[in-house]
Amino acid sequence: MHGGAEPYVHRTLRGGIELVVERLPDRPIAALDIRILAGMADEPADKLGLAFLVEQTINKGTAKRSGQELSDAFDRLGALHGSSAGRESFGFRCTCLPDFLDDVVALHAEFLRTPTFPEESCEVAKELALQELTALEDDPGELSRKALSLRAYGPVLGRHLYGERETIERIGRTDIVGFWQRNFGAARLQVAAAGRVDAERLADSLEKHFSDWNPSVVRATSPAVEFSAGRWHAHKELEQQYIAICWPGVPMSDAAHPVERVMLTILGDGMSSRLFAEVRERQGLVYWVGAWHEHPRTAGMIHLGASSTPARCEQTYVTLLREVDRLADDISADELARAKTQIIARTETHGDLTRARVSELASDLFYYGRPIPMAVKNAQVQAVSVEEIRGYLSEHPRDRRCVVTLGPAAPPAA
Amino acid sequence: MSQFHQQRLSNGLTVLVETMPHVTGVAVGFLVRTGARDETPADAGVSHFLEHMCFKGTDKRGWRDITIAFDDIGSTYNAMTSKEKTFYYGWVRAGDLARQTELLADMMRSTLPEAEFETEKKVILEEIAMSDDQIDRHLYDLLHEKFFAGHPLRWPVLGTTETIEKLTRAQMLDYFRRRYNAANMVLIIAGHVTASAAMKIAEDVCGHWPAGVARPDRQPPSIVKRGVAVLPMDRFRQQAIAMAVPAPSATDDDNEVAETVASIVGGSNSRFFWKIVQAGIAPVASAYRVDYCDCGFQLLYGFCEPPNAERLVEAIQRELSVLAREGVTEDEVMRVRNRRRTALALEAEAPYHRLMQLAHDLDMFGVPRSVEQRLAELDAVTTDRVHDYLKRWPMDREHYLVSVGPRAWPES
Repeated sequence: MHGGAEPYVHRTLRGGIELVVERLPDRPIAALDIRILAGMADEPADKLGLAFLVEQTINKGTAKRSGQELSDAFDRLGALHGSSAGRESFGFRCTCLPDFLDDVVALHAEFLRTPTFPEESCEVAKELALQELTALEDDPGELSRKALSLRAYGPVLGRHLYGERETIERIGRTDIVGFWQRNFGAARLQVAAAGRVDAERLADSLEKHFSDWNPSVVRATSPAVEFSAGRWHAHKELEQQYIAICWPGVPMSDAAHPVERVMLTILGDGMSSRLFAEVRERQGLVYWVGAWHEHPRTAGMIHLGASSTPARCEQTYVTLLREVDRLADDISADELARAKTQIIARTETHGDLTRARVSELASDLFYYGRPIPMAVKNAQVQAVSVEEIRGYLSEHPRDRRCVVTLGPAAPPAA
Repeated sequence: MSQFHQQRLSNGLTVLVETMPHVTGVAVGFLVRTGARDETPADAGVSHFLEHMCFKGTDKRGWRDITIAFDDIGSTYNAMTSKEKTFYYGWVRAGDLARQTELLADMMRSTLPEAEFETEKKVILEEIAMSDDQIDRHLYDLLHEKFFAGHPLRWPVLGTTETIEKLTRAQMLDYFRRRYNAANMVLIIAGHVTASAAMKIAEDVCGHWPAGVARPDRQPPSIVKRGVAVLPMDRFRQQAIAMAVPAPSATDDDNEVAETVASIVGGSNSRFFWKIVQAGIAPVASAYRVDYCDCGFQLLYGFCEPPNAERLVEAIQRELSVLAREGVTEDEVMRVRNRRRTALALEAEAPYHRLMQLAHDLDMFGVPRSVEQRLAELDAVTTDRVHDYLKRWPMDREHYLVSVGPRAWPES
């Protein structure tokens, strides 16, 4: 379906811009993922929430037009666009009909390079950030994740997007502009594109718009996770008790990553997984339970989560830990084969979506510095053996855990 | 780009196939034309509980076998229940279509195992408890309770703790037998498959089903167009506010116009975004069209700091007045149209998204709409049609307002 012998283009452009393209000429659209290698980890410790404010204000006015005029320009192209601020990167994503890709790149260049950060927009963004902190109090799932992140990831990588009330109040327009000046530049730019994309033309366009952008900005090294084991509980009037558990895993670039991925699928992905089968289907303790991993650029963390009414919380917690502890004991060949099929089949079906393809490419660039073809990743998954999972589990003990509970009852005694 | 094949099996089951030669996967689903509005006070919540029970056992499989069978083919699968329909689906590689369809079809003949009924009831009660911790769920349910007072559309899809605790397996079995039959269901397949191959699979796995009878006709509601309801809830920190304004049903000729109005008023890059959110009044202020088979409404809502509640409602009303007075511009309509064109191009490459859209189309129109047809409907939206719509469905005159949060506001 790719139409050419080699679908991938990977180049480093002038100014240090990294570009990767997956050419899918039969697709009716083009998808773009622009990443700036800076994020919450680059905030001053007394200005937490600054990255969010930068992301919220960078498109609210440029040298040429107002924020609303900029949004209208995207809409006239029919470009579906969005942005986010993360631990170590800002993401600017856009999908459009292929004919408009040049215009979409130009619009991104306009607001990324010439934002005016209007004073009024900065004040509104601060006000909205404070209101988001209020809204956070009504989201127990996110609230428990916030409490967990600070302890499991440490004071730098464990920061929350909205910061804290007192740190938001300290931030002014000068801080926002300063953060952008210090952290946004060509050397920190990674661009992934997929779909009906002319790679050479896109490369030329990116060089034209970005290659001389802020050459004083250079790449920084990734901060490390500072993990703390322990148990914490916060009281809150809720119907359910929320349980969040975390311990260190391996980075995406580690050879054991595919092994961890298969192991987590066995543990918590799909209705046949051990957690879903035991905690929900067999015992009826929860509606929601899951296991997954998250990845700062050079680290990996394993997460478990569930929520249940207070009377069932203790049993839920004990069952979660029992399933984690017995993982190495009795993995069957059927379970292993099923987990591999789950991962590979979903990669293939979801590969029909151009947006899924560009997300995968952007992730490859961020973690590996190059595109990894789907077939290569699937072959790594297919090669995982029961012995490798046992080896992984013995090399990565799960007894030092960070546990956060949130809810109306006392924390689990177990 | 794609093509449809729609046919009835001899037992009356409608089968719809959309061949999408440009994709590698295929999505399949069973639409059951029943939902919360088709329940009675005595079995409120049964449609959703039953949806869970269909995963719990058949003559051929226990719950463990069902979940393993899904994951053995790497399916992306689930089920959902709404006010008007129940839908079960799986999205798989093209070669696994027969296995996926057979599994879903088997689940549609569930035995509703007695041994699992009480265990799953606990799961439903946990789901209700989890949703009770979400302020938006209270807002949505309160709005339906008041706007559709006296009509089954007022009932929450999940039921309540009280109705679920009282519900018996015998009640569920009775409901199941009346609704899960060929006359009341549709099999939909979208993706990399030919019509002939899909029809053979359909005949093999559903051809023996009993014909049954369709669900009784629904009665349209008489909407309570004006009023105020307040649900004080101290445990939330935000104030959630919604206003409902009558709008056409899903099957109305003005369907696409109503969507355009919602988008201009409260979608992305909308008037609400620039005049309410970017004025710092509330972090969330949106408009969304809720459409049922015989009625609908424009949902105008926001979440704010409790002291900002008055400002939020005033700002919403001000924008609705401006809309009534000045209408919309050519540029606004064009921008919505261009965004939707890209969204439709994305939908065309995704079997899962096409499946969801086809389930909606079959439920509402009885026939599918192609992406091309929907593009044509979109292109037919003009400023004149929007202004005509606003005369017939005025948004600034009467509304039902609901408010949930720590403030007992507005005071009665």
